Amino acid sequence: MRIESILDRRRFVFLDGGMGTQLQKRGLKPGQKPELAALEMPEILTEIHAEYVAAGADLLLANTFGANARKLTGTGYTVAQVVEASLACAQCAAKNKDVLVGLDIGPLGELLAPAGTLSFEDAYASFAEIVRAGVQAGADFVFLETMTDLYELKAAILAAKEQSSLPVFVSMSFEGRGRTFTGCTVESYGVTAAGLGADAIGINCSLGPAEILPFAQRLCRTVPAHIPVFVKPNAGLPNPDGSYNLDADEFAREMKAYASIGVSMVGGCCGTTPEYIAKLREVFASQVPAQKIPLQRSCLCTPVRFVEVNGITVVGERINPTGKKRLQQALREGDSAYPCSQAVAQSEAGAEILDVNAGLPGIDEAATLERLVKDLQAVTDLPLQLDSSNPEALSRALRIYNGKPIVNSVNGEQKTLDAILPLCKKYGAAVVGLTLDEKGIPTSAEARFAIAERIVQAATAAGIPREDIYIDCLTLTASAQQEGAVQTLEALTRCKRELGVRTVLGVSNISFGLPCRSYLNTTFLTMAMAAGLDLAIMNPNTPEMMAAVRSYRVLTAQDKQSADYVAAYADVQIQSQQISKSTPENRKTLSATEDALFEAVRRGLKEEARTAAEAALASREPLDMVNTSLIPALDVVGDGFEKGTIFLPQLLQAATAAQAAFEAVKAKIAAQGKPTSSNKGKIVVATVKGDVHDIGKNIVRVILENYGYDVLDLGRDVPPERVVEAVRTTGAKLVGLSALMTTTVPNMKATIDALHTAKLDCKVWVGGAVLTPSYAKEIGADFFCKDAKASADLAKQILG
Amino acid sequence: MVRAKPQAIDRAVALRYMGASGWQPDDASSALLDRAESRLLQTAVPRAAWKKLPRTSLPLKDCGSDLIRHLQGCEEVLVLVATLGSEVDTMLRRFELTDIAMAATADAMASVMLEQVCDDLEQELRAELKAQNLYLTGRFAPGYGDCPLTLNDEVCLAADSVRGCGVAVTAEHLLAPRKSTTAILGVADHPVTGTLAGCSTCHLRETCVFRKNGTTCFTSK
Repeated sequence: MRIESILDRRRFVFLDGGMGTQLQKRGLKPGQKPELAALEMPEILTEIHAEYVAAGADLLLANTFGANARKLTGTGYTVAQVVEASLACAQCAAKNKDVLVGLDIGPLGELLAPAGTLSFEDAYASFAEIVRAGVQAGADFVFLETMTDLYELKAAILAAKEQSSLPVFVSMSFEGRGRTFTGCTVESYGVTAAGLGADAIGINCSLGPAEILPFAQRLCRTVPAHIPVFVKPNAGLPNPDGSYNLDADEFAREMKAYASIGVSMVGGCCGTTPEYIAKLREVFASQVPAQKIPLQRSCLCTPVRFVEVNGITVVGERINPTGKKRLQQALREGDSAYPCSQAVAQSEAGAEILDVNAGLPGIDEAATLERLVKDLQAVTDLPLQLDSSNPEALSRALRIYNGKPIVNSVNGEQKTLDAILPLCKKYGAAVVGLTLDEKGIPTSAEARFAIAERIVQAATAAGIPREDIYIDCLTLTASAQQEGAVQTLEALTRCKRELGVRTVLGVSNISFGLPCRSYLNTTFLTMAMAAGLDLAIMNPNTPEMMAAVRSYRVLTAQDKQSADYVAAYADVQIQSQQISKSTPENRKTLSATEDALFEAVRRGLKEEARTAAEAALASREPLDMVNTSLIPALDVVGDGFEKGTIFLPQLLQAATAAQAAFEAVKAKIAAQGKPTSSNKGKIVVATVKGDVHDIGKNIVRVILENYGYDVLDLGRDVPPERVVEAVRTTGAKLVGLSALMTTTVPNMKATIDALHTAKLDCKVWVGGAVLTPSYAKEIGADFFCKDAKASADLAKQILG
Repeated sequence: MVRAKPQAIDRAVALRYMGASGWQPDDASSALLDRAESRLLQTAVPRAAWKKLPRTSLPLKDCGSDLIRHLQGCEEVLVLVATLGSEVDTMLRRFELTDIAMAATADAMASVMLEQVCDDLEQELRAELKAQNLYLTGRFAPGYGDCPLTLNDEVCLAADSVRGCGVAVTAEHLLAPRKSTTAILGVADHPVTGTLAGCSTCHLRETCVFRKNGTTCFTSK
């Protein structure tokens, strides 16, 4: 049999059934590693495979589910040895039979960052090692199964595709709520796996045939027509004694329903035996798989969020350094907290996709974009629009992106198309095409449409489906090219109607150079929506623009019963805005609000603190305001905390309020163009390598920032080298390290040692649940601080 | 296996975790606790995996004396792994960026909620085993007393926690997702209570606020 005939969906193909339960039944002892069966009980293993062949399985999975370096540690065997021996047993059973043998690969057993500490690259390396061993041992295909983390699955698919030319089957396990443990939806799984080039896509384990059925139906609607879908359910649900509740007949009966939904391969997982497969064969042998009819949706996703682009969709534009001094500063310093907080704010304001751009002269765009994407996916579940035309930056960001992103952008220039479209294809990304080429932006709608046509042709030829192509007919600035707006909209309408693609516009460009920009932006957005705009790249924090989007959805009957509109505005009262001219007199009255800032911080009122600070900044120097209003308020609260009259929740509410005030200060300082946000000195903080518990460090960071220190927070799970590098480049005189658990304190010592070896002139203080003053001394720290207040006192002592 | 969420989160305990034992929160802090509680109850997907095994299936000889004392008289052990799920981690990370007061409050409340999930499960298992004339000690977690965190590896493997509830151990023997816990309970054919580790082997004895105030973490409620 050839693998092509397996994948052609003309007849039902039979996979094998459970292996672990079979091994236990035949002598595998508790505590004995099932991965080693091929070396410790090869005859029994071969016999089980042979029984599956006799039962009618077309495809056998070798007993290599857990044959990864981590699980084999301490066994004395290498991955290659176990893979070779295991494949040999299955190949022996398949000999002279019309049966193919697959390299079976399960999860590594460790969670990838940000949930755990295993890096995407290390996960890839582990999978690559197994795949190479499988190729060497003569596997006919690779079978990635029982995956619950889409990110881990992506690492595995890339490893299988790049390290072999074998067909790759993939399979995830879902809970009863239709999501995996990590929250991945069936749809996100289907589009991501298909986009990465999986040759067959399925669902296995966790549940029985009846429970998996609705998820398999959703998968059949998601996966493109040419990719087969398979299921390998458990023998029902588990009984308290560990057995399963369906016998072979019941299992086969429940499986019947799969014949008509478009699934073309069937098998079993935990609790199923050769008998189950034989019964399956009886039920399905005379049947032909139903055609599946996938919905050809334009969609983007992260594991937990599946965004179908069908009508106006808001893309947040704020993570783009062009013209944004505060973000430029953050990107230059490697500060991830600021762009991440922008992501959260845009998400809360109603963005459905986030544009991410790291193009800033003087920084390494590729490294910065990759790091930004990693940082952002730890805090937001919105899909990302990777905004770059640098192939290296795109390639690195696409590789580590978790889900299906959109690339912004290619244009009509052949060179760009050749460099970027293959990347989009390889990583399964959607793509934006700008209607410009080496000659610039054409003035007429006609000429822009012609470029769009060329882009669509090139993208289709590169294997990108039409529903993944988005054309940007380019917003020109009305103050410079007033006739351009209408041309843009005309080209947009034609692209949509004649090319059948999605459209996108950077809406805010329209108003550059003109006052009260939100008026123009909102009007242009409304016109564009009526012309058929799908993706609006805009600032979701502008209430008028979001109001236009929500209103449009009501008026075009997309927002059924106006539910979203009502949810957004039921409690809102529009105050008739008084448009006042900014005059020196106005500013003067505002400056009287400085006491309001002190009060707002002391009482922990975030919004009031922000407003008071903004008002005060109109007439006062930022640092003066910090020293005479903000810090005295924090001191009052901090003293109360020390005396036991103020409690942690109150202290932190004051800190949050001060933080809001500080954002206003930083924005002002960045706008003034000064290089750093204060002159009080730099501090580097980090939670050490291996440790993911960083709430304490984050509290310390906020309090130190409130006192006006310039804190570079390196995050959690930070390797010693990164701390050394950060101290070297920033010249920080004070470094704070945190570790929560006993097992990560050695990494704290390693970090301190590395700082000493590098002979950097800095003091180190440490903190964390298991640390004590004597322990701190023992590992070479200069100071121990029991809490954030003590850390701020220390900073005052060292840096002034 | 997915577990039911508690109806409410015990805020007295959450306040104790935040160093504010016995404090009557002011209005703003009460509102903060309310918000944290409602977001957690909405976001968490509590799950657990557990298994009853012969005591010999754990490498107890490398695990200090406190756990051995706790398991005295027990032929079997029940290993248990529970989590609030990775969605809670993401939510906490988000709060840490935008609102540190909310982050710290939700973090403490998540720890309490996880304990409540374990309490409910323990109660259920206790009743189940009682029907077979078996008795349970209390929960003992690696990292407590002189029992090393490395035992997390064996407990998770034995409970099949990766497949059962999505909890894995990192290279440094910490649990991921962050709001997860392991526990070992002794199983005996006669009533057993287990033994608390006490302060003599505790890592925190030098800096412990409870001890400074003449009490302990396990008696101060």
